[in-house]
Amino acid sequence: MTLPLTTTLSSCARAATAAEASYRVDTPLNPARGVRVIALDPGAAVVTGRLAVQEWTSARFFTCSGDAGGVVLQGVGGVPASLDEQLTEADVVLLVATEDAGAGCAYAVGRACWERGIMTAGVVVSEGFEAEHAVAALRPHARVLLPTADETDVVELLSALRA
Amino acid sequence: MLRKDINDLLTQTGPRSPMGELFRQYWIPALLAEELPEDDCPQVRVKLLSERLLAFRDSEGRYGLIDEFCAHRGASLWFARNEEGGIRCAYHGWKFDTTGQCVEVPSEADNSSFCQNVKLRAYPLVKIGDVLWTYMGDPATTPPLPEWEFALVPAEQTYTSKRWQQCNWLQAFEGGIDSSHVTFLHSGGLKTDPLFKGAKGNEYNLNDTKPFFEVADSEGGLFVGARRNAEEGTYYWRITPWVMPCFTMVPPRGDHPIHGHFWIPIDDENCWAYSFDYHPVRALTPEERQAMIDGHGVHSENIPGTYRPVANMDNDYLMDRDAQRRGAFFSGIKGIAIQDSSLQESMGPVVDRSKERLVPADSGIIKARQKLRKAAIALRDEGTVPPGVDPAHHHVRSAAVVLEQKESFLDSCREAVRVVPGTPVASV
Repeated sequence: MTLPLTTTLSSCARAATAAEASYRVDTPLNPARGVRVIALDPGAAVVTGRLAVQEWTSARFFTCSGDAGGVVLQGVGGVPASLDEQLTEADVVLLVATEDAGAGCAYAVGRACWERGIMTAGVVVSEGFEAEHAVAALRPHARVLLPTADETDVVELLSALRA
Repeated sequence: MLRKDINDLLTQTGPRSPMGELFRQYWIPALLAEELPEDDCPQVRVKLLSERLLAFRDSEGRYGLIDEFCAHRGASLWFARNEEGGIRCAYHGWKFDTTGQCVEVPSEADNSSFCQNVKLRAYPLVKIGDVLWTYMGDPATTPPLPEWEFALVPAEQTYTSKRWQQCNWLQAFEGGIDSSHVTFLHSGGLKTDPLFKGAKGNEYNLNDTKPFFEVADSEGGLFVGARRNAEEGTYYWRITPWVMPCFTMVPPRGDHPIHGHFWIPIDDENCWAYSFDYHPVRALTPEERQAMIDGHGVHSENIPGTYRPVANMDNDYLMDRDAQRRGAFFSGIKGIAIQDSSLQESMGPVVDRSKERLVPADSGIIKARQKLRKAAIALRDEGTVPPGVDPAHHHVRSAAVVLEQKESFLDSCREAVRVVPGTPVASV
Protein backbone atom coordinates (compact mmCIF):
# COMPACT_ATOMS: atom_id res chain seq x y z
CA MET A 1 0.00 0.00 0.00
CA THR A 2 1.30 3.49 -0.82
CA LEU A 3 1.01 6.00 1.97
CA PRO A 4 -0.53 9.31 0.98
CA LEU A 5 2.11 12.01 0.81
CA THR A 6 0.40 14.06 3.47
CA THR A 7 1.19 11.45 6.12
CA THR A 8 4.94 11.64 5.59
CA LEU A 9 7.49 14.35 6.16
CA SER A 10 7.83 16.19 2.88
CA SER A 11 10.87 15.35 0.81
CA CYS A 12 12.21 18.92 1.01
CA ALA A 13 11.87 19.19 4.79
CA ARG A 14 13.65 15.89 5.29
CA ALA A 15 16.32 16.58 2.70
CA ALA A 16 17.22 20.03 4.06
CA THR A 17 18.23 18.87 7.54
CA ALA A 18 21.81 18.98 8.79
CA ALA A 19 21.63 15.22 9.36
CA GLU A 20 20.80 14.59 5.71
CA ALA A 21 23.66 16.87 4.63
CA SER A 22 26.06 14.29 6.06
CA TYR A 23 24.96 11.85 3.36
CA ARG A 24 26.02 14.07 0.50
CA VAL A 25 28.36 12.45 -1.98
CA ASP A 26 31.84 13.20 -0.75
CA THR A 27 33.86 12.87 -3.93
CA PRO A 28 36.38 15.73 -4.04
CA LEU A 29 35.79 18.28 -6.75
CA ASN A 30 38.38 18.59 -9.43
CA PRO A 31 40.42 21.77 -9.34
CA ALA A 32 39.86 24.28 -12.09
CA ARG A 33 41.16 22.86 -15.35
CA GLY A 34 43.46 25.72 -15.97
CA VAL A 35 43.64 29.32 -14.85
CA ARG A 36 46.00 31.62 -16.68
CA VAL A 37 46.89 34.91 -15.01
CA ILE A 38 48.25 37.49 -17.42
CA ALA A 39 49.79 40.78 -16.29
CA LEU A 40 49.13 43.51 -18.84
CA ASP A 41 51.60 46.15 -17.69
CA PRO A 42 54.77 46.46 -15.57
CA GLY A 43 52.83 47.32 -12.40
CA ALA A 44 50.62 44.29 -12.90
CA ALA A 45 53.72 42.15 -13.43
CA VAL A 46 54.90 43.13 -9.95
CA VAL A 47 51.55 42.05 -8.51
CA THR A 48 51.45 38.71 -10.33
CA GLY A 49 55.12 38.13 -9.52
CA ARG A 50 54.24 38.20 -5.84
CA LEU A 51 51.33 35.82 -6.43
CA ALA A 52 53.29 33.38 -8.58
CA VAL A 53 55.47 32.27 -5.68
CA GLN A 54 52.43 31.08 -3.73
CA GLU A 55 51.13 27.55 -4.05
CA TRP A 56 48.46 27.05 -6.71
CA THR A 57 46.84 23.99 -8.19
CA SER A 58 46.47 24.97 -11.80
CA ALA A 59 47.19 28.68 -12.04
CA ARG A 60 50.04 29.77 -14.30
CA PHE A 61 51.37 33.32 -14.33
CA PHE A 62 52.59 35.35 -17.31
CA THR A 63 53.59 38.80 -18.35
CA CYS A 64 52.47 40.08 -21.69
CA SER A 65 53.97 42.35 -24.33
CA GLY A 66 52.87 43.33 -27.79
CA ASP A 67 49.78 45.06 -29.06
CA ALA A 68 46.34 44.40 -30.46
CA GLY A 69 47.87 42.61 -33.42
CA GLY A 70 49.59 39.96 -31.35
CA VAL A 71 51.19 39.30 -28.01
CA VAL A 72 54.13 37.48 -26.53
CA LEU A 73 53.83 35.83 -23.15
CA GLN A 74 56.61 35.24 -20.69
CA GLY A 75 56.27 32.88 -17.78
CA VAL A 76 58.00 32.99 -14.43
CA GLY A 77 61.75 33.46 -14.97
CA GLY A 78 61.19 34.96 -18.39
CA VAL A 79 60.44 31.70 -20.16
CA PRO A 80 58.59 32.50 -23.41
CA ALA A 81 55.17 30.94 -23.89
CA SER A 82 52.68 30.76 -26.69
CA LEU A 83 49.28 32.34 -26.05
CA ASP A 84 47.67 29.76 -28.30
CA GLU A 85 49.15 26.86 -26.34
CA GLN A 86 48.29 28.34 -22.99
CA LEU A 87 44.69 28.91 -24.00
CA THR A 88 44.36 25.34 -25.17
CA GLU A 89 44.61 24.20 -21.55
CA ALA A 90 42.71 27.09 -19.96
CA ASP A 91 39.13 27.54 -18.90
CA VAL A 92 39.60 30.90 -17.18
CA VAL A 93 41.94 33.75 -18.06
CA LEU A 94 42.49 36.43 -15.46
CA LEU A 95 43.81 39.70 -16.83
CA VAL A 96 45.54 41.98 -14.32
CA ALA A 97 46.15 45.65 -15.00
CA THR A 98 47.31 48.65 -13.00
CA GLU A 99 47.04 51.29 -15.72
CA ASP A 100 45.95 51.52 -19.33
CA ALA A 101 49.25 50.76 -21.05
CA GLY A 102 48.17 47.17 -21.67
CA ALA A 103 45.00 48.01 -23.60
CA GLY A 104 46.38 46.53 -26.84
CA CYS A 105 47.38 43.30 -25.10
CA ALA A 106 43.99 43.14 -23.41
CA TYR A 107 42.31 43.35 -26.77
CA ALA A 108 44.46 40.60 -28.27
CA VAL A 109 44.08 38.22 -25.34
CA GLY A 110 40.39 39.01 -24.95
CA ARG A 111 39.68 38.33 -28.59
CA ALA A 112 41.61 35.05 -28.49
CA CYS A 113 39.61 33.96 -25.44
CA TRP A 114 36.35 34.98 -27.05
CA GLU A 115 37.09 32.89 -30.11
CA ARG A 116 37.77 29.86 -27.90
CA GLY A 117 34.85 30.39 -25.53
CA ILE A 118 37.13 30.92 -22.53
CA MET A 119 35.86 32.93 -19.60
CA THR A 120 37.82 36.13 -19.03
CA ALA A 121 37.98 38.12 -15.82
CA GLY A 122 39.81 41.37 -15.27
CA VAL A 123 41.19 42.83 -12.07
CA VAL A 124 42.38 46.41 -12.12
CA VAL A 125 44.59 47.03 -9.11
CA SER A 126 44.94 50.75 -8.71
CA GLU A 127 43.99 53.74 -6.65
CA GLY A 128 43.03 56.99 -8.26
CA PHE A 129 42.18 58.09 -11.74
CA GLU A 130 44.70 55.98 -13.64
CA ALA A 131 42.42 53.04 -12.93
CA GLU A 132 39.58 54.54 -14.95
CA HIS A 133 41.51 54.14 -18.18
CA ALA A 134 42.55 50.62 -17.31
CA VAL A 135 38.98 49.66 -16.49
CA ALA A 136 37.78 51.14 -19.76
CA ALA A 137 40.49 49.27 -21.61
CA LEU A 138 39.51 45.95 -20.08
CA ARG A 139 35.73 46.39 -20.18
CA PRO A 140 35.15 45.00 -23.67
CA HIS A 141 37.28 41.93 -22.98
CA ALA A 142 36.48 40.83 -19.44
CA ARG A 143 33.18 39.17 -18.68
CA VAL A 144 33.82 40.05 -15.06
CA LEU A 145 35.68 43.17 -14.02
CA LEU A 146 36.89 44.14 -10.55
CA PRO A 147 38.40 47.56 -10.10
CA THR A 148 40.09 47.48 -6.70
CA ALA A 149 42.72 49.14 -4.59
CA ASP A 150 43.49 45.86 -2.85
CA GLU A 151 45.72 43.35 -4.64
CA THR A 152 44.60 40.58 -2.29
CA ASP A 153 41.40 40.59 -4.35
CA VAL A 154 43.38 38.66 -6.96
CA VAL A 155 44.29 36.05 -4.36
CA GLU A 156 40.69 35.83 -3.16
CA LEU A 157 39.40 35.37 -6.67
CA LEU A 158 41.95 32.70 -7.53
CA SER A 159 41.33 30.85 -4.27
CA ALA A 160 37.58 30.92 -4.76
CA LEU A 161 38.04 29.52 -8.27
CA ARG A 162 40.18 26.65 -6.93
CA ALA A 163 43.06 27.83 -9.08
CA MET B 1 35.26 27.76 -2.50
CA LEU B 2 35.64 28.72 1.10
CA ARG B 3 37.65 26.95 3.79
CA LYS B 4 35.62 25.54 6.66
CA ASP B 5 37.13 27.89 9.23
CA ILE B 6 36.22 30.93 7.14
CA ASN B 7 32.76 29.55 6.45
CA ASP B 8 32.29 29.11 10.20
CA LEU B 9 33.49 32.64 10.82
CA LEU B 10 31.02 34.13 8.33
CA THR B 11 28.00 32.04 9.27
CA GLN B 12 28.15 32.05 13.08
CA THR B 13 26.55 35.13 14.61
CA GLY B 14 25.98 34.23 18.23
CA PRO B 15 27.36 36.30 21.13
CA ARG B 16 31.15 36.68 21.15
CA SER B 17 31.60 35.23 17.67
CA PRO B 18 33.48 37.59 15.29
CA MET B 19 30.56 37.86 12.86
CA GLY B 20 28.12 38.13 15.76
CA GLU B 21 30.12 41.05 17.09
CA LEU B 22 30.10 42.57 13.62
CA PHE B 23 26.30 42.39 13.43
CA ARG B 24 26.15 43.94 16.89
CA GLN B 25 27.72 47.14 15.51
CA TYR B 26 24.59 47.98 13.50
CA TRP B 27 20.98 48.94 13.99
CA ILE B 28 19.13 45.94 12.56
CA PRO B 29 15.45 45.12 12.05
CA ALA B 30 14.13 43.29 15.13
CA LEU B 31 10.49 43.00 14.12
CA LEU B 32 7.80 44.77 12.16
CA ALA B 33 5.95 47.61 13.86
CA GLU B 34 2.67 45.82 13.10
CA GLU B 35 3.71 43.08 15.55
CA LEU B 36 3.29 45.51 18.46
CA PRO B 37 0.31 47.48 17.17
CA GLU B 38 -0.85 49.23 20.37
CA ASP B 39 0.07 50.01 23.96
CA ASP B 40 -0.10 46.98 26.29
CA CYS B 41 -0.62 44.64 23.32
CA PRO B 42 0.59 41.03 23.60
CA GLN B 43 4.35 40.69 23.78
CA VAL B 44 6.29 38.86 21.06
CA ARG B 45 9.10 36.34 21.27
CA VAL B 46 12.07 37.54 19.22
CA LYS B 47 15.16 35.48 18.54
CA LEU B 48 18.02 37.50 17.08
CA LEU B 49 21.69 36.64 16.63
CA SER B 50 21.08 33.47 18.67
CA GLU B 51 19.68 35.39 21.65
CA ARG B 52 16.14 34.72 22.89
CA LEU B 53 14.43 38.00 23.59
CA LEU B 54 10.98 39.41 24.21
CA ALA B 55 9.58 42.55 22.59
CA PHE B 56 6.76 44.52 24.16
CA ARG B 57 5.11 47.91 24.11
CA ASP B 58 4.14 49.28 27.48
CA SER B 59 1.21 51.42 28.62
CA GLU B 60 3.06 54.60 27.65
CA GLY B 61 3.90 53.42 24.13
CA ARG B 62 7.52 52.69 24.99
CA TYR B 63 9.10 49.77 23.17
CA GLY B 64 11.25 47.24 24.99
CA LEU B 65 13.42 44.34 23.87
CA ILE B 66 14.56 42.31 26.86
CA ASP B 67 15.80 38.86 27.85
CA GLU B 68 12.88 36.47 27.29
CA PHE B 69 13.30 34.79 30.66
CA CYS B 70 12.45 36.05 34.13
CA ALA B 71 15.43 36.71 36.38
CA HIS B 72 13.77 34.78 39.20
CA ARG B 73 13.31 31.16 38.08
CA GLY B 74 13.83 31.44 34.33
CA ALA B 75 10.21 31.23 33.23
CA SER B 76 9.41 32.68 29.84
CA LEU B 77 7.96 36.17 29.95
CA TRP B 78 5.90 35.29 26.89
CA PHE B 79 3.34 34.11 29.47
CA ALA B 80 3.59 37.39 31.39
CA ARG B 81 0.97 40.11 31.73
CA ASN B 82 1.75 43.34 29.90
CA GLU B 83 0.20 45.87 32.26
CA GLU B 84 0.65 49.27 33.89
CA GLY B 85 4.00 50.24 32.47
CA GLY B 86 5.76 46.90 32.57
CA ILE B 87 5.65 43.19 31.99
CA ARG B 88 4.77 40.99 34.97
CA CYS B 89 5.91 37.37 35.09
CA ALA B 90 2.95 35.00 35.29
CA TYR B 91 4.82 32.71 37.70
CA HIS B 92 5.55 34.85 40.80
CA GLY B 93 4.65 38.35 39.65
CA TRP B 94 8.09 39.90 39.18
CA LYS B 95 7.70 42.97 36.99
CA PHE B 96 10.14 44.52 34.50
CA ASP B 97 10.08 47.77 32.54
CA THR B 98 11.21 48.36 28.93
CA THR B 99 14.81 48.85 30.04
CA GLY B 100 14.82 45.40 31.64
CA GLN B 101 14.87 46.93 35.10
CA CYS B 102 12.98 44.92 37.70
CA VAL B 103 10.48 47.32 39.27
CA GLU B 104 8.54 45.00 41.56
CA VAL B 105 9.13 41.74 43.46
CA PRO B 106 5.86 41.00 45.25
CA SER B 107 7.40 38.56 47.73
CA GLU B 108 9.69 41.28 49.10
CA ALA B 109 8.72 43.83 51.70
CA ASP B 110 7.06 46.99 50.41
CA ASN B 111 10.08 49.10 51.31
CA SER B 112 12.63 46.59 49.96
CA SER B 113 15.26 47.80 47.50
CA PHE B 114 15.89 44.24 46.32
CA CYS B 115 14.57 44.78 42.81
CA GLN B 116 16.94 47.66 42.15
CA ASN B 117 19.73 45.13 41.76
CA VAL B 118 17.80 42.96 39.34
CA LYS B 119 17.99 43.87 35.68
CA LEU B 120 17.49 41.80 32.56
CA ARG B 121 19.63 42.31 29.49
CA ALA B 122 17.79 44.83 27.32
CA TYR B 123 18.38 46.45 23.97
CA PRO B 124 16.91 49.65 22.55
CA LEU B 125 13.93 49.25 20.23
CA VAL B 126 13.06 52.17 17.97
CA LYS B 127 10.33 52.56 15.37
CA ILE B 128 11.46 54.01 12.04
CA GLY B 129 9.07 53.46 9.16
CA ASP B 130 7.35 50.07 9.33
CA VAL B 131 10.22 48.49 11.24
CA LEU B 132 11.31 48.29 14.88
CA TRP B 133 15.11 48.51 14.94
CA THR B 134 17.48 47.38 17.62
CA TYR B 135 21.15 47.77 18.41
CA MET B 136 22.63 44.84 20.32
CA GLY B 137 26.16 46.10 20.81
CA ASP B 138 27.99 48.06 23.49
CA PRO B 139 25.70 50.92 24.60
CA ALA B 140 28.75 53.17 24.83
CA THR B 141 29.23 52.96 21.07
CA THR B 142 25.60 53.15 19.94
CA PRO B 143 25.70 54.55 16.40
CA PRO B 144 23.28 57.15 15.03
CA LEU B 145 19.89 55.80 13.96
CA PRO B 146 19.62 54.24 10.49
CA GLU B 147 18.71 56.43 7.53
CA TRP B 148 17.49 54.00 4.89
CA GLU B 149 15.28 55.77 2.36
CA PHE B 150 12.55 53.09 2.39
CA ALA B 151 12.05 53.72 6.11
CA LEU B 152 12.07 57.51 5.89
CA VAL B 153 9.61 58.20 3.05
CA PRO B 154 5.97 58.89 4.04
CA ALA B 155 3.98 55.84 5.13
CA GLU B 156 1.81 55.81 2.00
CA GLN B 157 4.94 55.38 -0.15
CA THR B 158 6.37 52.30 1.51
CA TYR B 159 5.55 48.71 2.48
CA THR B 160 7.65 46.16 4.36
CA SER B 161 7.04 42.45 4.94
CA LYS B 162 9.06 39.66 6.42
CA ARG B 163 9.30 35.91 6.14
CA TRP B 164 11.06 33.16 8.01
CA GLN B 165 13.77 31.47 5.98
CA GLN B 166 15.09 28.14 7.23
CA CYS B 167 18.78 28.51 6.47
CA ASN B 168 21.81 30.51 7.52
CA TRP B 169 21.70 34.22 6.78
CA LEU B 170 24.72 34.16 4.45
CA GLN B 171 23.31 31.82 1.82
CA ALA B 172 20.09 33.86 1.79
CA PHE B 173 21.99 37.14 1.52
CA GLU B 174 24.25 35.87 -1.26
CA GLY B 175 21.18 35.50 -3.47
CA GLY B 176 20.74 39.26 -3.18
CA ILE B 177 23.99 40.04 -4.96
CA ASP B 178 23.83 37.17 -7.43
CA SER B 179 22.38 38.92 -10.48
CA SER B 180 22.95 36.06 -12.90
CA HIS B 181 20.24 33.82 -11.42
CA VAL B 182 17.45 36.24 -12.32
CA THR B 183 17.42 35.32 -15.99
CA PHE B 184 16.76 31.68 -15.13
CA LEU B 185 15.05 31.26 -11.80
CA HIS B 186 12.82 34.34 -12.05
CA SER B 187 12.29 34.39 -15.81
CA GLY B 188 8.57 33.64 -15.51
CA GLY B 189 8.02 36.48 -13.05
CA LEU B 190 9.49 39.10 -15.34
CA LYS B 191 6.60 38.47 -17.74
CA THR B 192 3.74 38.04 -15.28
CA ASP B 193 4.41 39.50 -11.83
CA PRO B 194 2.32 42.68 -11.41
CA LEU B 195 5.22 44.41 -9.64
CA PHE B 196 7.75 43.59 -12.39
CA LYS B 197 6.03 43.18 -15.71
CA GLY B 198 5.88 45.69 -18.51
CA ALA B 199 9.25 47.37 -18.01
CA LYS B 200 11.42 47.90 -21.05
CA GLY B 201 14.39 46.61 -19.09
CA ASN B 202 12.75 43.18 -18.79
CA GLU B 203 13.27 42.67 -22.53
CA TYR B 204 16.99 43.27 -22.17
CA ASN B 205 17.07 40.81 -19.29
CA LEU B 206 15.34 38.09 -21.24
CA ASN B 207 17.18 38.70 -24.52
CA ASP B 208 20.69 38.50 -23.08
CA THR B 209 21.22 35.58 -20.74
CA LYS B 210 24.98 36.04 -20.41
CA PRO B 211 25.53 39.33 -18.61
CA PHE B 212 28.91 40.90 -17.97
CA PHE B 213 29.65 41.96 -14.40
CA GLU B 214 31.59 44.72 -12.73
CA VAL B 215 32.08 44.72 -8.97
CA ALA B 216 33.21 47.97 -7.40
CA ASP B 217 33.86 49.01 -3.82
CA SER B 218 31.63 51.58 -2.19
CA GLU B 219 31.97 53.30 1.16
CA GLY B 220 29.42 50.99 2.73
CA GLY B 221 30.06 47.80 0.77
CA LEU B 222 29.80 47.16 -2.95
CA PHE B 223 28.07 48.08 -6.15
CA VAL B 224 27.52 45.11 -8.45
CA GLY B 225 26.83 46.12 -12.04
CA ALA B 226 25.32 43.59 -14.46
CA ARG B 227 25.59 44.62 -18.09
CA ARG B 228 23.51 43.28 -20.96
CA ASN B 229 23.23 44.24 -24.59
CA ALA B 230 20.61 46.89 -25.37
CA GLU B 231 20.11 48.81 -28.61
CA GLU B 232 23.03 49.20 -31.01
CA GLY B 233 25.99 50.83 -29.29
CA THR B 234 24.43 50.71 -25.83
CA TYR B 235 24.33 48.50 -22.75
CA TYR B 236 21.59 47.93 -20.21
CA TRP B 237 23.07 48.13 -16.71
CA ARG B 238 21.44 46.83 -13.54
CA ILE B 239 23.22 48.17 -10.48
CA THR B 240 22.79 46.43 -7.14
CA PRO B 241 24.10 48.08 -3.98
CA TRP B 242 25.14 46.06 -0.97
CA VAL B 243 25.69 47.84 2.32
CA MET B 244 27.32 45.84 5.08
CA PRO B 245 26.40 43.59 6.59
CA CYS B 246 23.16 42.49 4.93
CA PHE B 247 21.29 45.25 3.06
CA THR B 248 20.74 44.86 -0.67
CA MET B 249 18.49 46.53 -3.19
CA VAL B 250 17.12 45.09 -6.40
CA PRO B 251 17.51 47.29 -9.48
CA PRO B 252 14.18 48.89 -10.43
CA ARG B 253 11.92 48.07 -13.34
CA GLY B 254 10.12 50.92 -15.12
CA ASP B 255 7.97 52.97 -12.74
CA HIS B 256 7.33 50.05 -10.43
CA PRO B 257 8.23 50.58 -6.77
CA ILE B 258 11.84 49.84 -5.93
CA HIS B 259 12.63 47.01 -3.53
CA GLY B 260 15.24 45.35 -1.43
CA HIS B 261 16.02 43.19 1.55
CA PHE B 262 17.71 42.73 4.88
CA TRP B 263 18.74 39.21 5.90
CA ILE B 264 18.83 39.07 9.67
CA PRO B 265 20.20 36.04 11.51
CA ILE B 266 17.74 34.43 13.92
CA ASP B 267 20.30 31.80 14.81
CA ASP B 268 22.90 30.02 12.72
CA GLU B 269 20.29 27.92 10.88
CA ASN B 270 17.46 30.42 10.41
CA CYS B 271 17.05 34.00 9.30
CA TRP B 272 14.44 36.66 8.67
CA ALA B 273 14.12 38.03 5.17
CA TYR B 274 12.81 41.58 5.51
CA SER B 275 11.55 42.75 2.14
CA PHE B 276 10.59 46.33 1.37
CA ASP B 277 9.07 48.19 -1.55
CA TYR B 278 8.81 51.95 -1.84
CA HIS B 279 8.45 54.73 -4.34
CA PRO B 280 10.46 57.86 -3.59
CA VAL B 281 8.08 60.33 -5.27
CA ARG B 282 4.55 58.96 -5.07
CA ALA B 283 2.19 56.90 -2.93
CA LEU B 284 1.91 53.22 -3.69
CA THR B 285 -1.31 52.58 -5.57
CA PRO B 286 -3.95 50.40 -3.89
CA GLU B 287 -3.26 47.75 -6.53
CA GLU B 288 0.48 47.79 -5.82
CA ARG B 289 -0.02 47.58 -2.07
CA GLN B 290 -2.49 44.73 -2.45
CA ALA B 291 -0.09 42.88 -4.75
CA MET B 292 2.59 43.15 -2.06
CA ILE B 293 0.20 41.92 0.64
CA ASP B 294 -0.76 39.03 -1.65
CA GLY B 295 2.88 37.99 -1.91
CA HIS B 296 3.85 39.26 -5.34
CA GLY B 297 7.17 40.85 -6.22
CA VAL B 298 9.77 40.22 -3.53
CA HIS B 299 7.14 39.50 -0.88
CA SER B 300 5.62 36.18 0.14
CA GLU B 301 2.16 34.94 0.93
CA ASN B 302 2.42 33.94 4.58
CA ILE B 303 0.33 31.61 6.70
CA PRO B 304 -2.18 33.97 8.37
CA GLY B 305 -1.04 35.10 11.78
CA THR B 306 2.54 34.05 11.11
CA TYR B 307 5.55 35.08 9.06
CA ARG B 308 6.02 31.61 7.63
CA PRO B 309 5.37 31.38 3.89
CA VAL B 310 2.38 29.32 2.77
CA ALA B 311 4.73 27.52 0.39
CA ASN B 312 7.48 26.09 2.58
CA MET B 313 9.69 23.04 2.93
CA ASP B 314 6.99 21.08 4.73
CA ASN B 315 4.80 21.04 1.62
CA ASP B 316 7.63 20.92 -0.92
CA TYR B 317 6.99 24.60 -1.63
CA LEU B 318 3.83 23.57 -3.52
CA MET B 319 6.00 22.35 -6.37
CA ASP B 320 4.10 22.47 -9.67
CA ARG B 321 5.85 20.21 -12.19
CA ASP B 322 3.30 21.03 -14.86
CA ALA B 323 4.02 24.77 -14.53
CA GLN B 324 7.71 23.93 -14.71
CA ARG B 325 7.20 21.99 -17.95
CA ARG B 326 5.11 24.79 -19.43
CA GLY B 327 7.78 27.33 -18.50
CA ALA B 328 5.43 29.37 -16.33
CA PHE B 329 7.86 28.96 -13.43
CA PHE B 330 11.40 27.91 -14.28
CA SER B 331 11.79 25.86 -11.08
CA GLY B 332 8.14 24.88 -10.72
CA ILE B 333 7.81 27.13 -7.66
CA LYS B 334 5.48 30.13 -7.69
CA GLY B 335 6.67 33.56 -6.57
CA ILE B 336 10.04 35.32 -6.62
CA ALA B 337 10.59 35.09 -2.85
CA ILE B 338 9.85 31.38 -2.61
CA GLN B 339 11.79 30.61 -5.76
CA ASP B 340 14.80 32.02 -3.93
CA SER B 341 14.12 30.55 -0.49
CA SER B 342 13.36 27.06 -1.81
CA LEU B 343 16.74 26.75 -3.48
CA GLN B 344 18.65 28.44 -0.68
CA GLU B 345 17.03 26.21 1.94
CA SER B 346 17.69 23.15 -0.22
CA MET B 347 21.43 23.71 0.36
CA GLY B 348 20.91 22.69 4.00
CA PRO B 349 20.91 24.80 7.16
CA VAL B 350 24.52 25.94 6.60
CA VAL B 351 25.93 25.09 3.20
CA ASP B 352 29.40 23.54 3.05
CA ARG B 353 31.20 26.10 0.90
CA SER B 354 34.37 24.01 0.72
CA LYS B 355 32.54 22.01 -1.96
CA GLU B 356 31.55 24.90 -4.17
CA ARG B 357 32.71 25.33 -7.73
CA LEU B 358 32.52 29.07 -8.21
CA VAL B 359 33.07 30.86 -11.51
CA PRO B 360 34.20 34.42 -12.23
CA ALA B 361 30.54 35.48 -12.55
CA ASP B 362 30.32 34.90 -8.79
CA SER B 363 32.80 37.71 -8.15
CA GLY B 364 30.23 39.78 -6.26
CA ILE B 365 29.78 36.96 -3.78
CA ILE B 366 33.53 36.36 -3.55
CA LYS B 367 34.19 40.02 -2.87
CA ALA B 368 31.38 40.36 -0.33
CA ARG B 369 32.68 37.39 1.65
CA GLN B 370 36.13 38.91 1.65
CA LYS B 371 34.86 42.26 2.91
CA LEU B 372 32.80 40.64 5.65
CA ARG B 373 35.73 38.53 6.79
CA LYS B 374 38.15 41.45 6.81
CA ALA B 375 35.69 43.69 8.65
CA ALA B 376 34.98 41.04 11.30
CA ILE B 377 38.68 40.46 11.89
CA ALA B 378 39.52 44.19 11.91
CA LEU B 379 36.78 44.74 14.48
CA ARG B 380 37.97 41.85 16.63
CA ASP B 381 41.68 42.64 16.46
CA GLU B 382 41.74 46.43 16.21
CA GLY B 383 38.28 47.63 17.13
CA THR B 384 37.78 49.11 13.67
CA VAL B 385 34.24 50.34 13.07
CA PRO B 386 33.00 48.47 9.97
CA PRO B 387 31.53 50.01 6.82
CA GLY B 388 27.78 50.49 6.88
CA VAL B 389 27.54 51.75 10.46
CA ASP B 390 27.72 55.40 9.38
CA PRO B 391 24.21 56.49 8.30
CA ALA B 392 25.79 58.29 5.35
CA HIS B 393 26.43 54.82 3.91
CA HIS B 394 22.68 54.14 3.94
CA HIS B 395 21.95 56.80 1.33
CA VAL B 396 22.14 54.43 -1.64
CA ARG B 397 19.76 53.34 -4.37
CA SER B 398 19.79 50.68 -7.01
CA ALA B 399 19.48 51.76 -10.64
CA ALA B 400 18.68 50.34 -14.07
CA VAL B 401 19.94 52.43 -16.97
CA VAL B 402 20.93 52.27 -20.62
CA LEU B 403 24.37 53.75 -21.27
CA GLU B 404 26.62 54.23 -24.27
CA GLN B 405 28.97 51.28 -24.53
CA LYS B 406 32.00 53.39 -23.75
CA GLU B 407 30.56 54.70 -20.48
CA SER B 408 31.50 53.43 -17.05
CA PHE B 409 28.46 52.55 -14.96
CA LEU B 410 29.96 53.99 -11.82
CA ASP B 411 31.01 57.26 -13.42
CA SER B 412 27.73 57.71 -15.25
CA CYS B 413 25.53 56.66 -12.34
CA ARG B 414 27.31 58.33 -9.45
CA GLU B 415 24.26 60.50 -8.81
CA ALA B 416 21.73 57.81 -9.70
CA VAL B 417 22.91 55.47 -6.94
CA ARG B 418 22.75 58.19 -4.27
CA VAL B 419 19.58 59.08 -2.42
CA VAL B 420 18.29 62.52 -3.24
CA PRO B 421 15.00 62.74 -1.35
CA GLY B 422 11.99 63.47 -3.49
CA THR B 423 13.63 62.52 -6.77
CA PRO B 424 12.73 59.50 -8.89
CA VAL B 425 15.00 56.49 -9.26
CA ALA B 426 16.96 55.92 -12.45
CA SER B 427 14.99 53.15 -14.09
CA VAL B 428 14.21 51.63 -17.46
